[in-house]
Amino acid sequence: MAKVCWTRSIWVRSSFVAEMVEAEWYDGLTARKRTGHASLSGSVLLLREDDGTQTALPLQDLRFVERRPEGPVLSLNDNRGFRLRLLGTIPPDLAERLPGESRYGHWIDRLGLPKAAALFAGISAVALAAVLTLPNWLGPLIPQSWERRAGDAVIGDMGNTLCHSEFGDPALKQLAAAIDPERPVTRVDIANIDMVNAVALPGGRVVVFDGLVQEAESADELAGVIAHEIGHVRERHVMQALLRQFGLSILLGGINSDVGSGIFGIASTSYTRSAEREADEYARERLAAADISPLGAAAFFERLKKEHGDGPDWAAWVASHPVPSERQKQFERAAQKGADYRPALSEQDFGALKTMCDEDEDVEEFYF
Amino acid sequence: MDGMAGGFGGDGGAPSGGDPANADGGPASAFVFEGTWREFAPIAFTNLLLTIVTLGIYRFWATTRERQYLWSRSRFIDEHLEWTGLGKELFFGFLMVAVLFGIPVLVLQFVVEALMIQGYPGLGAALMVAMVLTIFYLSGVARYRALRYRLGRTHWRGIRGGSYDPGFRYGLSYMWKYAVGYLAMGLMVPWAMVSLWNERWGHMSFGQLRFSGQADFSPVMKRYLLFYLAPLILLIVGFLAIGAVALGIGAAGEFDRKELAWGALGGLIAIGFVAFYLLWGLAYLFFYAKYLRVVIGEMRLGDDISFGFSATTKDWFRLILGDVGLVLVTLGVGWIFLSYRHWKFFITYVEAYGVIDPDALMQSDTPMAKHGEGLLDAFDMGAI
Ligand SMILES: [Zn+2]
Repeated sequence: MAKVCWTRSIWVRSSFVAEMVEAEWYDGLTARKRTGHASLSGSVLLLREDDGTQTALPLQDLRFVERRPEGPVLSLNDNRGFRLRLLGTIPPDLAERLPGESRYGHWIDRLGLPKAAALFAGISAVALAAVLTLPNWLGPLIPQSWERRAGDAVIGDMGNTLCHSEFGDPALKQLAAAIDPERPVTRVDIANIDMVNAVALPGGRVVVFDGLVQEAESADELAGVIAHEIGHVRERHVMQALLRQFGLSILLGGINSDVGSGIFGIASTSYTRSAEREADEYARERLAAADISPLGAAAFFERLKKEHGDGPDWAAWVASHPVPSERQKQFERAAQKGADYRPALSEQDFGALKTMCDEDEDVEEFYF
Repeated sequence: MDGMAGGFGGDGGAPSGGDPANADGGPASAFVFEGTWREFAPIAFTNLLLTIVTLGIYRFWATTRERQYLWSRSRFIDEHLEWTGLGKELFFGFLMVAVLFGIPVLVLQFVVEALMIQGYPGLGAALMVAMVLTIFYLSGVARYRALRYRLGRTHWRGIRGGSYDPGFRYGLSYMWKYAVGYLAMGLMVPWAMVSLWNERWGHMSFGQLRFSGQADFSPVMKRYLLFYLAPLILLIVGFLAIGAVALGIGAAGEFDRKELAWGALGGLIAIGFVAFYLLWGLAYLFFYAKYLRVVIGEMRLGDDISFGFSATTKDWFRLILGDVGLVLVTLGVGWIFLSYRHWKFFITYVEAYGVIDPDALMQSDTPMAKHGEGLLDAFDMGAI
């Protein structure tokens, strides 16, 4: 209440009566209603109570509250309890000095609602576009060694859920090397998880679930899936998805407070369709370079299509990837007639992959 | 002197000497809602527009505008309430919670997942439990602080409410009382609800007057038991009915439309399923209506003012039915009117009795919370 002071002197002008307006107010100290008149006096608003006491309010401290049918309601910036109602016609010189009406908030009032709404919509659209596209540029700029270190810190060696065996390990290494001989960061593993899925995790780690290995009928099918996931790693999709998720959760935090969906959520479900297409293109390129037939991958997609709906296992792969039929056709088209394709792995090596998790005696079952 | 130091209140209230609310032949209630949805609509629609184009950031200012309107159309005796909260307070409250709470939770979520993946499920689970307990504690604190914030920003005749207690101890009470409530096979939940209501309001004040809640939980127990046992009763009734129908079809022997009959039974089961949840919900409503009548009915402000709440289960049912109908008919847009409907419902059925002397009602000197309902917002518990 520092700025509300009581004054004794009554300032009288010849036009005093004409400039007064009826007023009622609460001082924010007691619940008692005060009635009297308000008038402008230089840079203060004088409140003259019926019993003669006067209060002077600096005009710059007044704050507009609302407009009632009987007149405006005002408050004070540093005394929220203070309420002043002016009743009846307000003299023009006073009306002009009163704080302006605020409805939506300062910025919006100044611009007007339509303009402000358009401006906000524009800013929001730009921000959304930036969050959706910038990661595609920023992702590849982040050194792979950083990503690998961060990925290792979070995922480590996945506990003891990765399967190892005497013949399985070299077979898997051979398959990965055939697809991506220069792979500087990628590591391919089979995890003891009974789900038909494969994921590319932060840090260049490709993990094929044992459920998918068991589902594959040939090494060529497996090669297609692994090539696709390596594609995600090589095209930096993991980092892009992480950055996009991060940006979206900040930008849309205002609407949805449910931020963050976990490592697997990010790694497996939030690639864009164009990222999936890129990974597929990469896979076809690498399969061709390694003389592995793309028909294996096509066959795998065909079975996905047929058995889709059979169980929740399939749903995981289908939900996070484009329609199998469309991809199947593209892999079929990539097959070159008369090409000298060789099996991705010998029957023996493929068998070693199939039995890898059974043979590993101290591997643990993974649970979410 | 405004001539309002006399009694006020509706039926059963003190004699109305100089009660202006009664003097002009108006409604006898101390609380009257005078808003119209036509006045509210422009506020609601512009709020919706601005909230969408700002990707949700405007919603703090939207809430403020909504409350300013609703409060200003709610009359207590002879004067309207005033909402003096600001959008930026709610916004900063939200930001604070996002930084102090949201980011740590996000990081912890990753740590827990990493621990799980790296093969320390025990440690991960322990961390998870700690996190859940913290959230449990903070949701109690959030409820308390939201009430404190709302009272601190509600003015009547220039006087506001508030509390001297920041609510951190209340959070502990909230934890152990609900824990006891649930551990006793859920049977003590009404006790937890009632005693927490009393505790919460016992720390609140308006002006220099303290609120107090003296409600006892036993009056609500009968209805709670009905809600508690409802699933069992409904399941038995349902199985008996299905069994009877199935037996009937089976015993009817050879008739061509047997498949049709079994199909009809399937339909009946589906209907029974929906009816089960509806009736169970109704049982809860039956309990909740009584609960609010009891806890509000035992509240006092200072020595001379008492409160009442008269909404029956039927009133609640009508409110909810109206909500659902409004949202469905308008394809979801009616959602923006729900806060209006709920506030109107509350003001219509809340009542106060007693005597108040405006000359003696002094401004509250409780500390003013600088931030809004961030926590409550984060836990999505805002009632209005
Ligand atoms: Zn993919």
